[in-house]
Amino acid sequence: MAKVGVYVCHCGSNIAGVVDVQAVEEFARTLPEVTVARRNLFMCSDPGQEIIRQDIRDGLVDKVVVAACTPRTHEPIFRRVLEVEGLNKYLFEMANIRDQDSWVHAHDKKGATQKAKQIVASAVAKARNLAPLEDKYVDVEKAALVIGGGVAGIFSALDLANMGNKVYLVEKEPSIGGVMAQLDKTFPTNDCSACILTPVMVDAGNHPNIELLTYAEVESVDGYIGNFDVKIRKKQSYIDWNKCTGCGACAEACPVRVPNEYNAGLDNRPAAYIHFPQAVPKKAVIDIDACLNCAGRKIGRELKISKKTGKPLLAPCERACPAGAIDRSLNLDPKGELVEARVGAIVVATGFKVMEKECFKNLAPDSPNVMTALQLERLISATGPTEGKLLRLTDMRKPKTISFLSCVGSRDENHHTYCSRVCCMYMIKQAKLLKEKYQDLEIYMHFMDVRTPGKDFDEYYTSALAMGIHIIRGRVGGIDKLPGDRLRVQGYDADLSSNIEIDADMVILASAIELPETIKPLAQKMSLTLDGSGFFKELHPKLKPVETAVEGIFLAGCCQGPKDIPDTVAQAKGAAAAAAVPLSQGRVKIEPIISEIITDRCSGCGICVPLCPYGAISMDSVHEKPRAVIDITQCKGCGVCTTACSSSAIQLHGYTEDQIMSQIQALTA
Amino acid sequence: MTAINLTDMDSGQVINEIVKNGGEGITRCIQCNACASVCPVAQAGFPLYGRLLIKKLQTGHFEEIIEDPSSWACQACNRCTEICPRDARPFEIVFAFRRIQAQELAISASAFTPLMNLYETGHAVYSESSKELRAKVGLPQEPPTSVGSEKAKEEIRTLLDNGPMGDLGIF
Repeated sequence: MAKVGVYVCHCGSNIAGVVDVQAVEEFARTLPEVTVARRNLFMCSDPGQEIIRQDIRDGLVDKVVVAACTPRTHEPIFRRVLEVEGLNKYLFEMANIRDQDSWVHAHDKKGATQKAKQIVASAVAKARNLAPLEDKYVDVEKAALVIGGGVAGIFSALDLANMGNKVYLVEKEPSIGGVMAQLDKTFPTNDCSACILTPVMVDAGNHPNIELLTYAEVESVDGYIGNFDVKIRKKQSYIDWNKCTGCGACAEACPVRVPNEYNAGLDNRPAAYIHFPQAVPKKAVIDIDACLNCAGRKIGRELKISKKTGKPLLAPCERACPAGAIDRSLNLDPKGELVEARVGAIVVATGFKVMEKECFKNLAPDSPNVMTALQLERLISATGPTEGKLLRLTDMRKPKTISFLSCVGSRDENHHTYCSRVCCMYMIKQAKLLKEKYQDLEIYMHFMDVRTPGKDFDEYYTSALAMGIHIIRGRVGGIDKLPGDRLRVQGYDADLSSNIEIDADMVILASAIELPETIKPLAQKMSLTLDGSGFFKELHPKLKPVETAVEGIFLAGCCQGPKDIPDTVAQAKGAAAAAAVPLSQGRVKIEPIISEIITDRCSGCGICVPLCPYGAISMDSVHEKPRAVIDITQCKGCGVCTTACSSSAIQLHGYTEDQIMSQIQALTA
Repeated sequence: MTAINLTDMDSGQVINEIVKNGGEGITRCIQCNACASVCPVAQAGFPLYGRLLIKKLQTGHFEEIIEDPSSWACQACNRCTEICPRDARPFEIVFAFRRIQAQELAISASAFTPLMNLYETGHAVYSESSKELRAKVGLPQEPPTSVGSEKAKEEIRTLLDNGPMGDLGIF
């Protein structure tokens, strides 16, 4: 005979304001095998917990039911109460009479009380059948994978490495640095972006615990917290990075010109190139899709000797390289090299992209004088195509009038409903930098409303006003092209209550921040989910901001949602701290509420194998017959396999058949 | 209504003029509308009350609004300045605009009578009919102020003649 204790929580007035808790308490006493039933204003409070502890100490109860808020937040708290008193913590059951009762039936007190009784009866029925379960532990690999080498990834990697962990920092581009490396200056201090980022990039590049894997992408992620097996594909650079000194001679020699990603497509780069001047590592790559194979030097083709001169026929890049790092005779694998690593935790910091201007047909995207704010960032940067001079690329003349358009693609049901959060500030930054440099420049900024929530941000905005930058309330409807490459911005000034027009020489679009489509396959590989806005979803928006639904995988930076640099760095350091917890503990707990295959009953039909969302079930040969086996480290206890098994051969501990059936009986009695 | 083309507006010059005439808070205004919420000019239905006047000036409108009489309805109650969260001091901007209007002889007809009264009697609000009323209650017909003192009136006229108002040649 079990001795079940039932504890009904008032939850202040959350429950007691609707449910007659006294009636529920009295009803609980009448249930079979219930030895005590009590209630308290807050069962989760210290005195509330003490009531349960005392009853356990007095030997009155050996199974505990708490009728309260939700197991989502409070189950671990009450399990700990049992554990402290020496009782197996899985002999606890929660009856959810708040989330699933008082909150949804606030209008029907009588009905809610009746429902509360049934929920308690069902929980008691299950509790009578509960069996003790034991936690299991697995060892943790003291290494971490950081995906993405932007400012978020760099800071996560550095923090984890400084704590003594081995870190693999994977970046798809040839250099780390991310979008921050493309920025000119940063708000609200107007620090030079490269000046503050480059030393940190160098630190990451030189750190003895960080293995930098640039020009590489994560191919697969298997395993579970503590023991993730990752495969990383290092792309083929066609240049021997052990020999390359980053001198750039190959880039100078290469005759090809293709759009330069680093300068947001504003100018061209060769096929053999170094990502950007401060690149870490500073190594060249050959973009083989753009390569012309000069002098017939296709990769892997034997070296020919000129009949005329008797000299070898080399491609210009080969000839130019003083380090001998380019040898096009080598038969290099276009797939590159596969690196395998075992890590205990993963930080995802894959970053963002800005929407291209082509998405906005009403904003004259075909005009080269309409550009995204990221392109302007390159244009005004000292390392940009004009070395920082504000010039229209169509006529290389300085513009007189510039219009900035906010919320382009943001707060827009046709594109993204969310606010991209940094646009107001970076537009003000760009406007201020330009106005400081060119005082005769007329700058108009069109806003739905100015959003400057941050330390020193609003002061930054009002200082722009004082400089004579025109802030106009009203979203722009369209841009007309005028003769002479000018652009007529069709706006509305809500303060004037009037339509307005601005004839601008350049228009800058603060286009929305979004998760690149190309990241979605990676999310699938890691079983991570995206939220309604299309970014990676954190486990809890407030209390678990860097955790994900997959234990051991953490998020940092704009892949989780739009952020400025301070917030990105703060979150990156948070993600590193969270990822370091399992690494420093050395072992992680495996929840015992997982499935077990009862091999004797298994018919080997294999129906459970493809259904398992975690790939935990496989077929194995037992006594020469195919039987399902389960990897307990992969199982998350979702129960899909148990419901599908036609021979009832799979048991989910904590939710066994007799436990579930007794619950149903109690509910339908 | 056709759209206003802001490109042609010289807002910098207009703002400079306002600053020169005592309205240096104009660049601090963020159009929050707090001043309008307490403004008697707005309540009385005048179209160009404080914050809208500031907005027009900020965007370089000048010729279009120079003749508008709204600014002359300002009661100088100062509530806008007390309520303004940005210390833009709207009242001072309205008065700066009024000074410019006066220089352009764009003084509202409603302001002329008080102005002439001031020049002649030393009071902006003064009516001949008050003499009878005063006599009825046993007071001297002329109050013991500038009205009854030729010397005081002369002083006021001298001040007005020799100040910026005198330059307008309206007295």
